[in-house]
Amino acid sequence: MDDDHGEGTSRRSSSRLRKVAPKMVAALTSADNRTQATMARLEALENDNAGAEVVDVDDEDASLDDDDQAYMKRQLKNTKRKTRQAKALENAKKAPRTFMELLNDANLEALPPHVPSYLRAAVGPPSATSRRHFCTVCGFTANYTCVRCGVRFCSIRCQVIHNDTRCLKFVA
Amino acid sequence: MGSHNKVVVLDNGGGLLKAGIGGDHSPTAVVPNCLGRPPSSKKWLSGDQLLSSDDHTSVSLRRPLDRGYLVNPDLQKEIWDRVLHHLLLLSDDDLRSSSLLLVEPLLNLPSARRASDELVFEDFGFSSLYVADPPSLVHLHHHHHHHCSLVVDCGFSFAHAAPVLEGFTLNYGVRRLDIGGKALTNHLKELVSYRSINVMDETLLIDQAKERLCFVSLDVPRDLRLSRIRGRDNPFRCTYVLPDGVNHMRGFVKDEEEAQRYLSLPPEGEQDARRIEDEVMDDAQRREERKRSILAENEFSLTNERFLVPEMLFHPADLGMNEAGLAECIVRSVDACHPYLHPVLFESIVLSGGSTLFPRFAERLERELRPLVCDDYKVKITTQEDPILGVWRGGSLLASTPDFEAMCVTKVEYEEYGSTRCRRRFFH
Repeated sequence: MDDDHGEGTSRRSSSRLRKVAPKMVAALTSADNRTQATMARLEALENDNAGAEVVDVDDEDASLDDDDQAYMKRQLKNTKRKTRQAKALENAKKAPRTFMELLNDANLEALPPHVPSYLRAAVGPPSATSRRHFCTVCGFTANYTCVRCGVRFCSIRCQVIHNDTRCLKFVA
Repeated sequence: MGSHNKVVVLDNGGGLLKAGIGGDHSPTAVVPNCLGRPPSSKKWLSGDQLLSSDDHTSVSLRRPLDRGYLVNPDLQKEIWDRVLHHLLLLSDDDLRSSSLLLVEPLLNLPSARRASDELVFEDFGFSSLYVADPPSLVHLHHHHHHHCSLVVDCGFSFAHAAPVLEGFTLNYGVRRLDIGGKALTNHLKELVSYRSINVMDETLLIDQAKERLCFVSLDVPRDLRLSRIRGRDNPFRCTYVLPDGVNHMRGFVKDEEEAQRYLSLPPEGEQDARRIEDEVMDDAQRREERKRSILAENEFSLTNERFLVPEMLFHPADLGMNEAGLAECIVRSVDACHPYLHPVLFESIVLSGGSTLFPRFAERLERELRPLVCDDYKVKITTQEDPILGVWRGGSLLASTPDFEAMCVTKVEYEEYGSTRCRRRFFH
């Protein structure tokens, strides 16, 4: 009937509105999100503790980004006070840094090409072997891909479990 | 030992810290290189306290090393302090009169080098320092009568393939695979949490489960088929019991025999597998039995996870990483060297590091490697007696050589020239 998509006329779409959050719509459409989700998963493999890494943020540290009101309050509390800048410097020195930050600081790209470095020692992409897919639910060889989030599963049973539990969890 | 000088040998690994006195056969202290805090306490416990404490559940961890490199010197200082003073029983005066042999990761970052120099000389006041890299020490310990060897070091943070010639690591030939024991543990944690019970906070427990139960499969498609078998006939099914805090404090494997069953499988038992499968299908009784053996609350069972987790070392691409597997890593490392070295390197591969302890690791590696190597070359993979301590033992040997002192950078030199110029001595 109303064929405003300009696609094949045989195809009809239901008039029911699908309830999908805008964030999810964005996630569905862009392939970039999927790669981002994979990256995030790989990154998570290097975490020491699950969930949000607890970073001890000092009160002083928080105040640096706060608006002036909060800052003034704190100023009243602490009578002995260093300047903002000095404190920021001190905190930056003390704070444990991630490896990625250190790597960026080291500026290894700037080395001449014959010098071996952390970056050049990386093994690089595989040459021939293609990726095998394992079902994320049960672990067996997976022949099917979830159309929404790109995660693999092996059977209808696993698909149902996947849809119920983690579909789009990593993407949206 | 020299008349005046002790040498402290410190292998500062991402997972385990190995420390002892040069000349000894084994390190005095092998402790996790981290601080941990059980939910019940407010204090952070050091590695040895963690090992001896009863409560391994939900310990949150802080590590001074990230991806194998030093990122948090303050934390490292606390840990070294504990190890040197309480485990090695050295006083401050002892430290000031002794040298340190420090094992650093390959291709360390300049900032991390500076930070560890500061720790060694300024915070602990060692009189001199020698920095060694793991592959050359493994070579020294294990292959010293050979001219060269290819050291494959699968550790906690990453795996390296490094050619060593006459005791020196050829830096340009080093290839790194960014997957190690930590990633494997986290992967297993994720799988178990999704499939049976949530163990996302139980890094220590799952680490132990991984060490007990995971193995390397020699034939993945076959083992996958076998692990489809339901119930008790599944040769890989194995139950791990988590501590309940009342009757037992440590996790354990419910049935050791069950866990070892995969070892007695026929080597290429395709038909066998099918036979077993048929049997199971006919046997309704077994199915009932399966229903009865519903898992208790604090246990989980593993089947294909047992070999699919270490599998990631050989095929990181399966995880979505854009990296070649360990076998290819070795080939690329050798290819980066002079062609004259190729045959010699392939026949002197040494395995080192904790992740090589998975059963059948060497066998599988050889199977993967053989097709990639020219037919004229021999492939020979040797394992060490204790792959975790190999590096430390090499360091201990090096520290007891008579001219060790001459190779060190002394505190005076450090104070005069600074870190960067002193480090040139170690040919980084």
